[in-house]
Amino acid sequence: MIRDALVLARKDLLLEVRRREVVLAMLQYVITTLVVIHFAIAGAGSSQKAAAGMLWAAILFTAVLSLNRCFAADQEEGALDALLLAPIDRAAIWLGKVLAQITFLLIMEALALPAFWLFFFGEKGPHPLPVIGAVLLANIGLAAIGVLVAGLAQATRARDVLLPVLFLPLSIPLVIAAVTATLESFPGGSGAQESLQFLAVFNIVFVSLAWGTYEHLSGE
Amino acid sequence: MSPTIELAACSKRFGERVALRRVSFTVPAGTAVALTGPNGSGKSTVLRVVAGLVRPTAGAALVDGTPAADLERTARGTIGYLGHRALAYRGMTAAENLRLMARLHRRPADAVAGALAEVGLGDRGDDRIDGFSRGMLQRLSLARILVTGPALLLLDEPATGLDSEGAALLDAVLGRLRGQVTLLAATHDDAFAARHADAVIRLDRGEVA
Repeated sequence: MIRDALVLARKDLLLEVRRREVVLAMLQYVITTLVVIHFAIAGAGSSQKAAAGMLWAAILFTAVLSLNRCFAADQEEGALDALLLAPIDRAAIWLGKVLAQITFLLIMEALALPAFWLFFFGEKGPHPLPVIGAVLLANIGLAAIGVLVAGLAQATRARDVLLPVLFLPLSIPLVIAAVTATLESFPGGSGAQESLQFLAVFNIVFVSLAWGTYEHLSGE
Repeated sequence: MSPTIELAACSKRFGERVALRRVSFTVPAGTAVALTGPNGSGKSTVLRVVAGLVRPTAGAALVDGTPAADLERTARGTIGYLGHRALAYRGMTAAENLRLMARLHRRPADAVAGALAEVGLGDRGDDRIDGFSRGMLQRLSLARILVTGPALLLLDEPATGLDSEGAALLDAVLGRLRGQVTLLAATHDDAFAARHADAVIRLDRGEVA
């Protein structure tokens, strides 16, 4: 199953390299958000902590942007039907998409995180290691839930509306934990360990849930 | 080993619309049946139900006695489905699409070149399919089926978009596979049904006429 998932993830990355539909839009969105926030809160007393919250809002909504296109290439010529008829564990389709989504998020964050640090945090910002840990853990959870929900939504006419309606409430606990981890990593904070543990447990629960149910939820 | 198909009082609704009403028939293993009928009569829905891509609302669609939507993955992989679309990725080349299917179906990669040649796309393997005509996409679909080595063929208007050369290639492929696979084909073409089918089932407004 891992082999099939890697084959399918490679396919999604190849399509993105050729079409550049998702990552460029994600980068544009996150840069625009950064610029707007910079002008809105620069110089304010609480700007650093507000920026930490804005960073996670940007990551969350950029993930929605990417997830909305998650099954687009599979639908254009009905290729999803070919995948559903292939002699593979259908969870491999989900896992392949999760791996591709994590890659897209990492590319976006490789630009967004240094930029946020430069614009808002500087030397007085949070300790970077816990924040990077929170980002890596949150990526897994966001992609796992998001692809499952996108897979459900793609079979409906209201897919563009249904995805955020289902995805955002499910991801709120994860984003709150990530924001808390970031805030607790500022000098004087109590440390991000508890929040990172919550993120890890959240991922174990939702990855297991999504992995086990995709086979039954895929298709019609 | 080609499977037997059985539809038993199979009904399908899409919201308020009734697509199939208690459709029952059997396609014995290794035989070929043509589904005919006007547009909207339910031919495509029958094929998607037998492929397990949609579940019947009532009744059953069985492949060798197992509900089509619950087939285990090895049995699922023996279904060759040719639909209204190419079931391929536009951003990839013809050969890349077939190699992807070959890998997922555990088939040798060298089957790709042979399949492309058999459908007359031997020199177009490295072209991205977003530039392909309808007929070329139909040929690619046929090549996909050849690469995956099916035991059950479900063909939805397989000659659509094909020129005379393409139609002849389709006839040759189906002639070669005759008796080795179970075939259920939806068609408006009576001549196609006469050439390739052992029996014809006519549908009208979701019912066997």
